[in-house]
Amino acid sequence: MSTSTAAAVAAASSPAQPTGAHLGHTSLNIDSLRDLARKELVNVLDSVQGKKGLVLDPNLSGPLSLIAEFALLKDHGVEKIYHLQPGPLETDCKNLIYICRPQVNYMKYIAEHIHTHTKDSRAGSYTYSLFFVPRRTALCEKVLEDEGVFGEITKGEYHLDLIPLEDDVLSLEWDSTFKELYLEQDTTSIYYAAKALMRLQGIYGLFPRILGKGDYSKALCDMMLRMRREMAVDDLDASQTMQLSQNIDSLIIIDRSVDMVTPLCTQLTYEGLIDEIFHIKNSFVEVDASLASAASAPPGGGSGSGTQSSATAPTGKKKKVPLNGGDKLFDELRDLNFAVVGGLLNKVAKRINADYEERHNAKTVPQIRQFIVKMGGLAAEHQSLRLHTALAEEIMNYTMTDDFNRILEVQQNVVAGIATNKEPEYIEEMINKQAPLVQVLRLLCLYSLVNSGLKPKQFEFFKREILETYGFEHIQTLENLRRLGMLTKQVTTKNTYGLVRRSLSLIVDEVNEHAPNDISYVYSGYAPLSVRLVQCVVQRGKDNKQPGGPGGKGSGIAGGNGWKGFEDVLRMLPGRTFDETQRVDDGQPRPSKKISATRFLASQEGGQRDFVICTTQILNGNTLVDSLVQKVPDLHASA
Amino acid sequence: MSPPTADWIQLHDRFYRKQEIYTMLWKQVDLSKYMIAAAPFGGPLALVRDDRKVLLLQKQQPIKPSIYLYTSSGKIMETIQWDKGHIVGMGWTETEQLLCVLEDGTVRMYNILGEYTQFSLGKDAKDNRVIDVQFWGTGLVALTGSFQLIAITNFDEPRPLFLADPGINEPPHSWTVVPPKFTLSRHVEVLIAHNSTILVVDATEARDERLQQGPFSKMSISPDGKYLALFTADGKLWVVSTDFQKNLSEFATRSQVPPQQLVWCGTDSVVLYWDKIVLMVGPYGDWIKYTYDDAIFLIPEIDGVRVISMDKCEFLQKVPDATENIFKIGSTAPAAMLYDALDHFEKKSPKADENIRSIRLELSDAVEACIEAAGHEISHQYQRSLLKAASFGKSFLEIHNADSFVEMCKVLRVLNAVRYYEIGIPMTYTQFQRLSPEALIDRLISRHQYLLAIRICEYLKMRTDRILIHWACSKIKKSSDDEDTICRMVVEKLANKPGLSYSEIAMTAHKAGQSKLATMLLDYEPRAGDQVPLLMSMQEDELALVKAIESGDTDLVYHVILHLKRKLQLGEFFRIINNKPLACNLLESYCKQQDPELLKDFYYQDDRTVDRANLTLMESFRQKDSTERMNKIKAALRLYQDDKEHTFEAKAIEDSIKLLQTQVQLEKDYSQPFSGLSISSTVYKLITINQSNRATKIRGDFKMPDKRFWWIKLRALVEIRDWDGVATLAKSKKSPIGYEPFVEECVKAMQFREAAKYILKCDAHLRAGLFLKIEAYQEAGEQAFLQKDLDTLREIRDKCPNAVIQGQIDGYISQLASSR
Repeated sequence: MSTSTAAAVAAASSPAQPTGAHLGHTSLNIDSLRDLARKELVNVLDSVQGKKGLVLDPNLSGPLSLIAEFALLKDHGVEKIYHLQPGPLETDCKNLIYICRPQVNYMKYIAEHIHTHTKDSRAGSYTYSLFFVPRRTALCEKVLEDEGVFGEITKGEYHLDLIPLEDDVLSLEWDSTFKELYLEQDTTSIYYAAKALMRLQGIYGLFPRILGKGDYSKALCDMMLRMRREMAVDDLDASQTMQLSQNIDSLIIIDRSVDMVTPLCTQLTYEGLIDEIFHIKNSFVEVDASLASAASAPPGGGSGSGTQSSATAPTGKKKKVPLNGGDKLFDELRDLNFAVVGGLLNKVAKRINADYEERHNAKTVPQIRQFIVKMGGLAAEHQSLRLHTALAEEIMNYTMTDDFNRILEVQQNVVAGIATNKEPEYIEEMINKQAPLVQVLRLLCLYSLVNSGLKPKQFEFFKREILETYGFEHIQTLENLRRLGMLTKQVTTKNTYGLVRRSLSLIVDEVNEHAPNDISYVYSGYAPLSVRLVQCVVQRGKDNKQPGGPGGKGSGIAGGNGWKGFEDVLRMLPGRTFDETQRVDDGQPRPSKKISATRFLASQEGGQRDFVICTTQILNGNTLVDSLVQKVPDLHASA
Repeated sequence: MSPPTADWIQLHDRFYRKQEIYTMLWKQVDLSKYMIAAAPFGGPLALVRDDRKVLLLQKQQPIKPSIYLYTSSGKIMETIQWDKGHIVGMGWTETEQLLCVLEDGTVRMYNILGEYTQFSLGKDAKDNRVIDVQFWGTGLVALTGSFQLIAITNFDEPRPLFLADPGINEPPHSWTVVPPKFTLSRHVEVLIAHNSTILVVDATEARDERLQQGPFSKMSISPDGKYLALFTADGKLWVVSTDFQKNLSEFATRSQVPPQQLVWCGTDSVVLYWDKIVLMVGPYGDWIKYTYDDAIFLIPEIDGVRVISMDKCEFLQKVPDATENIFKIGSTAPAAMLYDALDHFEKKSPKADENIRSIRLELSDAVEACIEAAGHEISHQYQRSLLKAASFGKSFLEIHNADSFVEMCKVLRVLNAVRYYEIGIPMTYTQFQRLSPEALIDRLISRHQYLLAIRICEYLKMRTDRILIHWACSKIKKSSDDEDTICRMVVEKLANKPGLSYSEIAMTAHKAGQSKLATMLLDYEPRAGDQVPLLMSMQEDELALVKAIESGDTDLVYHVILHLKRKLQLGEFFRIINNKPLACNLLESYCKQQDPELLKDFYYQDDRTVDRANLTLMESFRQKDSTERMNKIKAALRLYQDDKEHTFEAKAIEDSIKLLQTQVQLEKDYSQPFSGLSISSTVYKLITINQSNRATKIRGDFKMPDKRFWWIKLRALVEIRDWDGVATLAKSKKSPIGYEPFVEECVKAMQFREAAKYILKCDAHLRAGLFLKIEAYQEAGEQAFLQKDLDTLREIRDKCPNAVIQGQIDGYISQLASSR
């Protein structure tokens, strides 16, 4: 998974249980963030008396489920939960609470609900409360006014910003960040990110140093510094007493524009592939119900608890399964290269089986009791083993296909700069086969980025192929990609990427997938640029100027040399570079980051330093490209 | 100095005291003639002539009524000329704003200086008139003529909220509200005395408590919200818990007439007032009676009752435990001994030492008790002597934390200062603890007691910003100096306060019509965002936009943009927006969602041809009618043709027009939908409906590359399982895409026999692998052998289920191995 805007901060991580129980095991105690969010949610619900219906922004139901379980909502009078979507809302709840992002389309949906309710005289009177996450905006209020429902609604705010997905991952879950920021150049997300980081500083103390790369990173850093100045206005004492953080030694901000290549590549870790194939959203993955329920079937053997009676559910239904550090097995597997996952699953299966067999050795009553105690844990482990075996099988089927392997091959050749004309030929073949447009564009953009654009003839050719095969509406798609510099005409033969690749050793030939010693294992040979940049800062004091490779424990970034020694490389990359030391204040901007990769860095640092990732949005190649593809209504549907 | 117990009266097992705090500064105010509202925590009184009471018209008395605001010491603070209709009720908010509710549902909210804002309770209140109203610190409930209840729960954003219909058709005997903080649901509840029972009404339901003891002519909720005092028709005072589960006490007053006031004194006794008679009833049926010469007014406080009469302000309270322990006659509590010891010490009597010795072990507690008792004293002498006793006791202790002593000294200095009759806030120590120093400062600010407020802040080490800002604002409002002088004056005073916000001050200047001053002051505002609202109201549109952008808060930028859009001519609007990239981007994204027409204008005036063209093109996809659609596309084409840079797009759009025309024709010919499909999909579809010739023609029309056409044709034929067609295609000429795709597509369709036909046409080195795919192990083995490909041979051997073939392959393997 890549993130759209991210910041790495030091901390430590360990596993636990679902609905947030997996949080709070680091020196930063991320759990406190969750508690705050939970308390506020209760206040939101209690603000309306009696029984109520909750209408949720579909994009928020995931994050909210990380914060509160359904029982809590029920305890506070929630009878039914609806998704906020177009069309009339039929409900017998007379009190409706909307919780949504301040987005124009949502305001229209709400207005539509209210209009249908008022028209229907039988319906009686409803009360409407609307809570914006994280804050109300003039824009939305204007839309409500335009729609003539402003006065009908009691409006409030639910200040949910950074959502702790894991102990080391905080996300704003601002799903439209990439398109909004880079294509529309709407800097709203930077503002929210700055606010959220300020809040983190409020909790954990000031970041001693802020380093970064990229124009938006710089903007984020500047905004944070300005907010700190302004904070003095609100509360001089608080701003003066704010200490340098004890737990966080620096903030590195890297914006996505610095490294567009990485998210376009296929991630080869277990979690990465789950994301590629099933798409992980808010740390939940939606899989076929039969897969998920296989996971809840009782363990084999007579001693099974036997309580779960339901057989495999009818297929075709989808079920949401949480994927987080609460699942021990997943925690173990997630960042491994998929190549080794099978073997590990096998080992775990054998161990669990052996553990079950132990029951035969339990002869005395205390032994039996001991076994029973252990059983609970075993059953849970067994469940998770079933789920992951099933997922791994699915992934295996996918990775065995010729298409997948050929795409991967092309991808790796492209990033490695071993260019022949085979790669464009294959892309052309994909178009001819009418492969999904997003896949085509992913490869094509990668090719263009790595080669500083396509040759003019090639450029025209591909544009024409795409328009004629996928439809002329993609004139806009191509324009979007051109604006972002992802698909361009070559104007210079100077190959920036090539230079960067060499100086940061992005390509590593010898990859040991079983015992990785370099971050490049994540992409089986390609080391993400953004991670290398973090390494530049973190892994100081090595003789070797190359940031790759193991070893080199930093003596604390705050006192380190920052970007020193890497100025040449940084100059080649787009956007400004900066390094600010906060007297009680500091940071590094970075909007793009591989999560597995960063975790790996943490382990490479020998546990001396850990990373916490803060991001506006978690993104993969498909979601990134898809957000740029022009959609048109399917009016004249073909057969 | 009179003994401290002089004004104590015993009520069952406890003592009450009534202490005079002030001699009223006002002259001859007959309280019986007024409607009165008093704010708790020693707050001010509002008096307005009660127009239901007959009043002798006296000389020099204005006909028009006024609302008089007095301090507790009877000092007039403000006179508000009343020009509106009949006031139904008055009350105070917890921030000391006076609320006046009018018959027509208008609510006016005055600050202590008589400035007001107003809002309405809505149409229903206006139509049916408001007949009564009840207040609590942060809200009010109005009763309308149609016996509906309307609540306001937040005065910052007042929104009338209808409570459930109580279902009554005559005015209640009495009613009251239970503030939200005391109810289970945390929402306001209303208690209504109806017939002989009480109805409990909230937003969702009206519940009948089914009581028989009514009708209740008066009711009152205790300050902690736990108990309800009721006065019944037969003259009984009845106290129950607010959930009506627990009967606490009953007391027969033998008065058929309901009292004028029924209030709680703290939480354990109830005070009733009839004309000039005050009756205090304790929990065990004991009572005390006080008589007065004139009308009085009772103000309930959390720890007692303030009694306002024509000449005095008194405070009636239960004697605090700490005080009682020390001063009760014959008390031997350690604190009493300590207090006594000091007395002896001052008289140089050796008994001092004896006293101290006797309480040696409890001395520390005794010290703390004296400190606390000092806090509860109003008299300076007793405060001093109690603190002295504490200090005396302290000197005998080896280790004693003096924090509470120091703290109490500070608090008492502050309390004494605000109790001074010129200020007139008779706040008790208990009230101060509850209210917080910040709120006290706010009250001083709203009374314009800036100097005192600043002194207190500095003394208690609190921030003085709010005071300075408020001071500056009022200075600007009142001052008649020229703008430069005022500016200098304000800035000088505020100079050494870094980070102080100037925007509110500037806003005040602007509202006072001193825009030059406002501009000057605004320059000192450190927060860009805060300058925006003022700049907007000062018509400094462009500057407001610049500052909003600077703040980074995109919503603020939207706020300004939308304001400008409403206000300005389009051209002027664009002129301001144009050179500001963020504003342009935000406008664009707003328009895309909400106002596409504006977006076109915006692109047009900014010469953004490509964007305009794309916008028009995208619109075309939303047109259901193909003629409409065509028109839009043509419009887009014209725009693209204007631009030399975009010949590619122009060409593409020309093609799309041609495609659309073709599709219209196809739809006619085959009565099947085609429009919306791409060129490739159109061709594909034609082949699947067996119209290969037409497909070939279209391919020619659009000069489709060979490779693509072959792929499309191959896939389409496989889809309709036209294997002959596939074979014909393969033979038609040398395939531009090779023959591997033929094999693969057949394999995908699970047609291994078909696939086999094309394998030998493929590159030699691929053949073994392809045969393996269709499970033709023998052929695979042969091909691999020909290629001398050992690895593939081994793979085939592993996969092959047939022992004979396996043997054959083993032969190949050994043959190859040996030849190496």
